[in-house]
Order: sequence, then C-alpha cells, then structure tokens
Amino acid sequence: MRHEQLTDDLQEQASLYAAGAMAESQRREYARHLEEDQCAVCLSEVNELQTAVSMLAFSTPSRSPSPTVRERLREQARSVNSVSSIRSRSPLRRFWVDLIAGAAAVGALVFALAVTRANTELRRLADSLNSRIAQLEIQLSQSRTSLISLTSPEVRIVDLRGQRGNDRARGRIFWDQSKRKWFFYVRDLPQLPADKSYQLWFVPASGNPISAVVFNTESDGSTERQIDVPEAVVILKAAAVTTEPAGGMPQPTGQFALLGAL
Amino acid sequence: MPPHQLMPATISKVPQLVTIPAVMHDERVEREDRELILRMASRDANALDAFYTRYNRVAFSLIFRIVGNRQDAEDVLTDVFWQVWQQSGRYDSTRGKPIAWLLTIARTRAIDCIRSNQRQQTRTEELEPDRSPAIGTVEHDSFVLADTRRAVQEALQTLPEQQKIALEMAYFQGMSHSEIAAALGQPLGTVKDRIRNGMIHLRKQLKAYL
Repeated sequence: MRHEQLTDDLQEQASLYAAGAMAESQRREYARHLEEDQCAVCLSEVNELQTAVSMLAFSTPSRSPSPTVRERLREQARSVNSVSSIRSRSPLRRFWVDLIAGAAAVGALVFALAVTRANTELRRLADSLNSRIAQLEIQLSQSRTSLISLTSPEVRIVDLRGQRGNDRARGRIFWDQSKRKWFFYVRDLPQLPADKSYQLWFVPASGNPISAVVFNTESDGSTERQIDVPEAVVILKAAAVTTEPAGGMPQPTGQFALLGAL
Repeated sequence: MPPHQLMPATISKVPQLVTIPAVMHDERVEREDRELILRMASRDANALDAFYTRYNRVAFSLIFRIVGNRQDAEDVLTDVFWQVWQQSGRYDSTRGKPIAWLLTIARTRAIDCIRSNQRQQTRTEELEPDRSPAIGTVEHDSFVLADTRRAVQEALQTLPEQQKIALEMAYFQGMSHSEIAAALGQPLGTVKDRIRNGMIHLRKQLKAYL
C-alpha cells in the first residue's frame, strides 16, 4: 500500500528502519513495503534519515586500514578485468578463444560424465560393502551375546545323543536359567525329506512334552537356535528331538533322533 | 567559524580547496563520487581505487567501531568495497549520496559480521593508541571529510544524551528497539520516541551535509 502523506507513525517506522532498530521480521516486512509498494512517502523519509544516521560514522575515532586491503581489492578487480578483457578481444581471436573454451568445456563434460559413472559404480560397491558390514556387525553382536551367555556360571549344559542309528548325531543345549533361554546346537543330523521336520521338546518331570522349536538342518546336518523357555516349564527330566511331519505336531508322534537327560 | 579556517596546515597547500565553501566543495565531491560509481559500473578498476582512497578511513573507522578488532574490520572493509564495485551498476542516486550508500553497506556488513562470529567481546585493540596518520594530512579530499566530522560532532553535542545513547545502541551495536528498551529498562514507546527524535534532530543539524 502506498501512503499519501507522512504521519507520525510512518515517520517512526522510517526512523526505526533507517537506524537499523527494527526487529528482523518487522524489517523484512518494511523493506518489502519499500521495494514492492514503491511508497514514495516512506522511501523519501527513509532515504533522508538513512543519510543522516550514516553521518554517525564520522563520530568514530579515525583509523586507517593496512595497505593489504587496497592490494586485495586491486587484485580482485584485476582478476575480474582480465576475464572481461579476454571476452572483449578481436573477433578472430575471440573465435579461437571460444573454440578452445568450447573444446575444453566438451572435454570437461566428458570427463565429468566418466567421473560420474565411476562414482556410481563406487557408490554401488560402497553400498554393498556397507550392507555386508551391517550384517557382520549384527552377527558379531549375536555371537558376543551368545558367548557371554554360554560362559555364564548360571548356564547348565545338556548333551543330546543320536538315537536309532544316528550314532554320529550330537546336540548340545546351553541352558541359561536366569534368562530362561536355551542355546541349542546340533550337528550331523541326517537331512529329512521335504515332508518331514525335526521337533525339539521340553520333557517335564510330569505331564506331556512341550514343543520347543520345529527345525530343519543345513546341508551339513547342523543348526543353531535360541529358544525362550516358557514360564510353565519348571522341572525338566529330558530334552528330546523327534522326527515329525513338516511343520511339527502338538505332541511327539515320530521316532527319537536325539535325546538328553537333565 | 568557517570550515576553511579549521583546516590543518598541510591542507592549505592545496589552494583550490581553501577558497571553496565546504558545502559547495561537498557538492563537487558528490558529483565526482557519482562519476566514480559510473566508471566502476563499466569496470574501471582505477575508479574503485580512487573511491577507496577517498573513503577507506571513514568506512574503516565505522566498521572497526562496530566489530571491535582490526582483522575482522579489514575483512569487512574488503567485502564492502567489493560489494560497491559489484553493485555500482545498480546504484540509484535518488536513494541518497554515494557516501551514505557506502556507509549503509559498511554498517550492514559489520553488524552481520558481529552477529555471525560473536567476537564483540574481543575489543582489545580499542584500548590501543591509533597509529594511523592524523585527520586531514593524507588524502586530498580530507578537508571535506574533516569538515563533516566536525559538523557531526557538533550535532551530537546538541543531541540530548538519552537520544544519543538509544541511537548509538541501534546504529553501532545493531540492537533492535525492544532490545534497547530491555537494556535501558525503559518502555518501548519511550525508546522509539528517542530514536525518532534523535534522527530528526540529526537530520536538521546536518541538513547542509545531506
């Protein structure tokens, strides 16, 4: 909005702006008024007051800067002028300069593209390595946790032996009683057909077995699992692995593959 | 006392300056300043050099007063004259005299500097004696600047102390009116009045120089 005449309020605004005493948000709004509205009344008052207040500079003790400032400015101005003088040379010379500059620009573009491509490859490799590092860090963390648990004085070790011709098969349970966890390791169990699974059981001193986990082995007959021991499981007499239909059963139906007394 | 009677002895060696009243001389300087700005706009580095020769001291003194140390002040001074060089094509003479334009840029950049690096507390050099040459002995136009300096100091002497304090807090320290009111423990309206009246007083007292 343009003002038609100077009021006390407008003069106050102009004086605060010229003195640099407005808060930032006010200052921006007022500057917008001056620039966009082109309010001649306010512009004129601000210009006069700004000129007046700038005279305060003459009230400061007189000092001289070091000669290096002038040198810096001369150097900057020279460098700008040397660029503009190249641009203003004769047409023939300018043709060659433009040609060389153009060739250099094309070369720079090709180089930039090559660098970008190489960067993309490197970025992909870096992403893949970062992902692998993250996996290894998780594994390391899990291993540390396992190691701490396995070496705890509260851990009880239960060995499981192969049954019915699986003499080579072995299992071991590290039972962390304080954390109510089983760390279950198996090796040399025969691989099962697709319609079968192994099932580990908590075998309590009284009552029916309770399923701990249904699993299949790796190609070398091994596996390792962490199993939470349910609150209901208090006194156990054994741990057993049976062969069951794929997906497991509520109660054991198949033959024993591993058995260990507690 | 007429301004030319206040001149240092060295200036009296320049006869054409002695006989010209300060205000008329000031008009000539202003015209020359505008020409220098025009030449800067056409990338005449000598014009930048001449403009710097005229006003480096007053701009530096202002910047130093605000930032409080020489290193920052010299960096800001370089930026200020470089900004003048770069924006010379956009200088609008209806917005004020070249010197006011320059000093407004200098003040703004100096306030930006203290806000960004908060080095206000290291004002050690303010306590050191100024080793720069005395006013009016170096540059050929120091007569005008010295006369302006005297006029400003006289104007400030007639300015009520409270108005002067409020103005200086705003101009040299970059404080907003609400910050000044809080610092002085005065109502906001009082501080606004002091700034406004102080500026109107300055404008009236320095009318011949604006």
